[in-house]
Amino acid sequence: MAMRELPKTDVVIVGGGWTGLTAAYELAHAGQRCVILERGQPRHTATSFAGPEEHDELKYALRYGHMQDVKKETLTFRNSRDQQALPMRRLGSFLPGSGLGGAGIHWNGQIWRPLPSDLEMRSHYDARYGSQFIPEDLTVQDWGVTYDELEPHLDFFERICGAAGSAGNLNGETRPGGNPFEGARTSDYPNPPMKQPISNTLFGQAAERLGYNPFPMPSANVTAAYENPYGAQLHPCTYCGYCERFGCGYFAKADPIICVYDRIKDHENFEIRFGAQALRVEKSRDGKTATGVVYQDEDGVEVFQPADTVCLNAYALWNVHLMLVSGLGQPYDPETRQGTVGRNYSYQTIAAVDAFFDDEIVTNPFMGAGALGMVVDDFNGDNFDHSELGFVGGGYIACKQYHGRPISYQPVPDGTPKWGAEWKRVLRETYSRHGDLVIHGSSMSTPENYLDLDPTWTDAFGRPLLRMTFNFPENDRKMSDYVMNRALDIAREMDHVTSVSSVNLAREGADYSIVPYQTTHNVGGAVIGTDPTTSVVNRYGQMWDHHNVFVFGACLFPQNLGYNPTGPLMGLAYWTLDHMKRDYLKNPGPLMDA
Amino acid sequence: MTRRYSRRAVLMQIGAGSAAAATLTSPKHAFAQMDSRPWFFLTDDEARWLAAICDVFIPQDDFPSASQAGVVDYIDLQMASGYGKGEGLYLKGPFPEGTPEQGYQLPYTPSELLRRGIAAARDEDDLGAMPPPDRSAYVEALSERTEPIGDVPASAFFNELLSLTNEGYFADPIYLGNHNYAGWEMVGFPGAHAYYLDRVDKHNLPVDQPPMGIAHNGGRSTLPRPIRSEG
Amino acid sequence: MPKVSPPMILGATLVAIGAYAMSLNAQDRSEQPAIAALEANLNDERALFNAQVESDIDDDLLETGRLVAMGGSQAGGSGMACITCHGAEGQGDGSGAFPRLAGLPGWYMYKQLVDYASGERPNNVMSGVAQRLTEHEMEAVSAYYAAIDAPYRPVAGTVDAELLQWGGQLGAVGSAEKGIPACVNCHGPSGLGNPPSVPYLAGQYATYMTHQLQLWREGVRNNDAMNVMSSIASKMTDEDMRAVSEYYARVRPDVARMRTDATATD
Repeated sequence: MAMRELPKTDVVIVGGGWTGLTAAYELAHAGQRCVILERGQPRHTATSFAGPEEHDELKYALRYGHMQDVKKETLTFRNSRDQQALPMRRLGSFLPGSGLGGAGIHWNGQIWRPLPSDLEMRSHYDARYGSQFIPEDLTVQDWGVTYDELEPHLDFFERICGAAGSAGNLNGETRPGGNPFEGARTSDYPNPPMKQPISNTLFGQAAERLGYNPFPMPSANVTAAYENPYGAQLHPCTYCGYCERFGCGYFAKADPIICVYDRIKDHENFEIRFGAQALRVEKSRDGKTATGVVYQDEDGVEVFQPADTVCLNAYALWNVHLMLVSGLGQPYDPETRQGTVGRNYSYQTIAAVDAFFDDEIVTNPFMGAGALGMVVDDFNGDNFDHSELGFVGGGYIACKQYHGRPISYQPVPDGTPKWGAEWKRVLRETYSRHGDLVIHGSSMSTPENYLDLDPTWTDAFGRPLLRMTFNFPENDRKMSDYVMNRALDIAREMDHVTSVSSVNLAREGADYSIVPYQTTHNVGGAVIGTDPTTSVVNRYGQMWDHHNVFVFGACLFPQNLGYNPTGPLMGLAYWTLDHMKRDYLKNPGPLMDA
Repeated sequence: MTRRYSRRAVLMQIGAGSAAAATLTSPKHAFAQMDSRPWFFLTDDEARWLAAICDVFIPQDDFPSASQAGVVDYIDLQMASGYGKGEGLYLKGPFPEGTPEQGYQLPYTPSELLRRGIAAARDEDDLGAMPPPDRSAYVEALSERTEPIGDVPASAFFNELLSLTNEGYFADPIYLGNHNYAGWEMVGFPGAHAYYLDRVDKHNLPVDQPPMGIAHNGGRSTLPRPIRSEG
Repeated sequence: MPKVSPPMILGATLVAIGAYAMSLNAQDRSEQPAIAALEANLNDERALFNAQVESDIDDDLLETGRLVAMGGSQAGGSGMACITCHGAEGQGDGSGAFPRLAGLPGWYMYKQLVDYASGERPNNVMSGVAQRLTEHEMEAVSAYYAAIDAPYRPVAGTVDAELLQWGGQLGAVGSAEKGIPACVNCHGPSGLGNPPSVPYLAGQYATYMTHQLQLWREGVRNNDAMNVMSSIASKMTDEDMRAVSEYYARVRPDVARMRTDATATD
C-alpha cells in the first residue's frame, strides 16, 4: 500500500508529554512550524480529571486507566543475558503514560534538581576518592553539561510548575529549612512548602535530633493560586490523596496540559495530531540526517511526515525503541561492547521502612499529595563520605504521605497474617498509625544492563518489542542497604513509634522484578555526553550520527541520580531548546565535533 | 412454574459452614438489590465457592465479611467486564514459563484463570462441606501449594483470588462491592469526595467522617452502572 | 453513635421561648423546628458529622443555638435574630439577599461567623451581628442550623434551558477552554456539600451565589483557604456565574430516600 506523504514541516515532534509540548511551545514561538505526533487521545485537566469520578482507585490506580496499553506496546524483560526475555504482560514496576500530557498527567509532582556532583559523577569521584574508586564494572560517566549551565533551565521549569518548597542554598548562602546540599539556586521556590501531616513532622523532628537536615519535599502540587511564565493559572492543592496515577482536576498538580498545551494550542505554528503512532524515523539516502517520521494515523493509514528537524520526545524507553527500529545511531552489543543506542540503561533502587505509632497518633493518611513529604538528603549523591563504604551513589530518605486509598494502603506490622480475622483487626488499628519511609536510591549503569530489540515478540504494529536486560549491580545493593539502615535509625528515633520494619528490593539475593511497582524512572539508553563512543547525543541533546535529530527525556541520563528525573530532564530540555534556537536552526549542522 | 432466582438464597446455602450467614443482623444483605438478576459471569457453584473462599480472607467480625460486603458481586462484574476479558494484558504467544521476576506468563485472561482454577479446585475438594476451621486450613494450604491446580499454577490462582477479594472489599461501591461502605467504614476512609486543605496540618485530629463514594446518594451506595455486553 | 442526650425539661422551656419569640415580631412560629425534631435529624451519622463544629452536640447546645436564632445574641438583642432575615427555618428569603442556612455544615458556618466578626469576610450587616456573638453562641447557632432540615422554596422565574445545561456542565466537569475546574471537585456529590469545610450549592439561592462569585472575582470576598475561589471566579464570565448558580439553585437532595435510609435497620 502506498504511504501517504504530507507536505514538509519545520519540526516534527514525537510525543505530546512534558518535553514534546515544551519543545513545540519554544520552537513555535521561535518561528518554527511544529507538528506533534501523539499516539494517544486528547484529554483535558478540567474535564477529564474532575472529581469524584476521577477519584476511582480501582480504575486508575489498579487498572491503570491513564497509562499505556500493553496490548499495543510493551517490552520483554530478563535479568541477565543467559535468560530468555519474556514479555511484560501486565504493567507493574513502571507505568508509562499515553495521551495528551503523557506520564506528566499521572506523575507525583516531585520536582528536583540534580546535585552538581551528579552531573559530573565520574570526574567528581575520581577527584575526591581517586580514579580506582568507582567499581570497574560500572560505566559511570559525566553528562557533559554542568550544573551551572543547567541552573537557569532548572529554575525556569520550577517556575513553570509553581514548585513549592524552601531554598537551602540561595546564591551560595545556606538557608535553614531547605536542603543544605543542593546546588546553589539563583531564586527561591516560587511557592511556599506544603503543609505537613503528623507522620512527616515526627520524622523531621527525629532526623534533626540525629543531626541530619530534614526539609519539605519540593513539590509541583502547588500551594497557592499561581500564574506561571506561560500564563497558566494553577490552584492550590487540596491534599485529596488522589495524586499519583491520577490526573488533577483541581489544577493543583502541574501537568503539561495546563502548564504548556493550553498556552500554545492556538498558536499558528502549532499542530498536534492524536492517534498518531510513530512507527519509525526515516533517514536520508546517505544516512546522515533524518528526513521525517512515518506514523500510523487513527484510520490505520501509514503517513509520512517530512521535516527539517526531528525531535524525539517520547517516554525514555520508547525513544530508544524508535531509534532501534529506525536504525538511528549504532545499537549497543554487550558482547563486543560496541555501539551506543541502548547502552547504559538504568532505573532506581528502592527500599522502604514502615514505622507504626502508638494510639496517641492519628495520621489520617487519606489527607495526602504526591509530593507531600519530609526529606533527608544527607545520604544522597556524594553528600557523605564514601571512603570506607565500598560503594558509590546514594539516595534520599523521605517520610511521605501520598494517599490512604484502602485497596493499596494497608500497612500492617511484620508478622501480621496476610488475611483473616487477625489481619482485619490489625489493619483497622494501624491504618491511621503508620509512617511511610522510602529510600530513593541512585542506579548505576553497567555493560550488562541494556536495551535492544527482542527476537520473538512484536507489538500491535508488527515491530519487535524493546528488550530490557537489567538487574541491580552489587554496588547498588550495598548502597541501598547502607542508606536503608540510616532510615531505620531515624524511624527508631521517632516519637510514639512502637515498631519498625523494612524491605529492601535490592537486598542480597533479590533480583530486580518487573512485578511490584517501584518507580517510573527508566533512564538511559540514549546517553548524553562529549564522547561519541560512549554517548548517543552530544551535550546539546543532538544525535552524533544525525545532526537534525534532537533527543529529550530521561533516556539521556548516563546513570540515574538519587532523585526523581522530571526536574533534571526538563532542565536538559530547555538547555537543548535554547541551543536549537540560538545555534542550530540558523545554521543546521553538528553543534559539536565528533 | 417460574423459578424465583435469588442470589441471596444461593449464598445462604453455604451458610451451613458459616454461622454468620445464618444470623445476618447487620448490615442488610449485599445481594438484596441484585436479587432478581442472574450472575453476569459466574455459575451458582462458582459463586458459592468464591463466597466460601473470600469469607476466609475477610471473615465477619464487627464489620461485614467479604461476601456480606458484595465481594462476590464484585468478582462477578470484574470477570464479565474488561478486566476479566483481558484488558491491559498482552496475550501474544508463545508462552514459555518464566522466573518470578518476569511476572505473569499464562495464556489465560483473568476470567479463564478463575474458571479453570475453581473447576479444578471443586474437583479436588468439597469446600462447601467443610466446617470453618477446615476452610481456613484449606486456604492456607492453597497459598503454599507448589503443584498446579488443574492446569494453572496455584500461586497465580491464589494471588488472583486474594487480590480480587481485597479489591472487592475496598473499591468504590459502584463496582458492587464495599456495600454500604463496609470496607471504608472499617479503616476510616472518607472516600471519593476529598477536600482536606484546612485539616491536613491539624495533627492527630480524629476524623470520623462518614464515607461518600463516587455515586453517593443520600447515604446508601447506589445501584451499579449498566454493564456493556461487548468489551 | 450520636452524641445527643435526652431532652430534659423541654416542654416548659419551649413554651417559655415560644412566648418570648412571639413577642418579637409577627413571623409565623407554627413551623419552628422543635429540639426533639432536630435531635431526630442528628440520629443519622452523616447529619451529626455535618453539624458538629467542635464540642459534642447536646440539647443544651441546640437550645442555645435556637435562642440565638430566634432571639438574637445575649449581647445583641432581638434586632439581631437570625430568623428576621434568614427565615423561621433558615431557608432564607426568596430574593436571595439572605441565603439559606438550613443544613450548612456547622464548621463552615461557624467559620463564616468568625470571619464576619473579624472583617475577614466583609459584610455591612453580618459584621455587626457576628461581633455581638460569643464564640459559644457562634458554635451553638451553627450546630442548630446544620441540624435543620428545612423545605426548599420553589425556584422563582424561568431560565433558558441552554444556560442550565451549561451550568450543569461547568459544575460537573468544568471547562477546558477557560481552565475552570469542576465545582463538584470540592462541593460534594451533586453540589450537596462536603462537610466540614465545604458548603452545599444545591438549593442555595441563585442570586446569592452569583453575587458571591462576583465578590470572589473582585477580591472583595477572600476568606477561603489559599484563595481557591477567587482564582476560579476570576476565570468565569458573568454568564458562567449565572449558569452555575441557576443550575445548583434547582438541585435538590433526594430527601425522601435520605429519610428512609436514616431509619433503615443498618
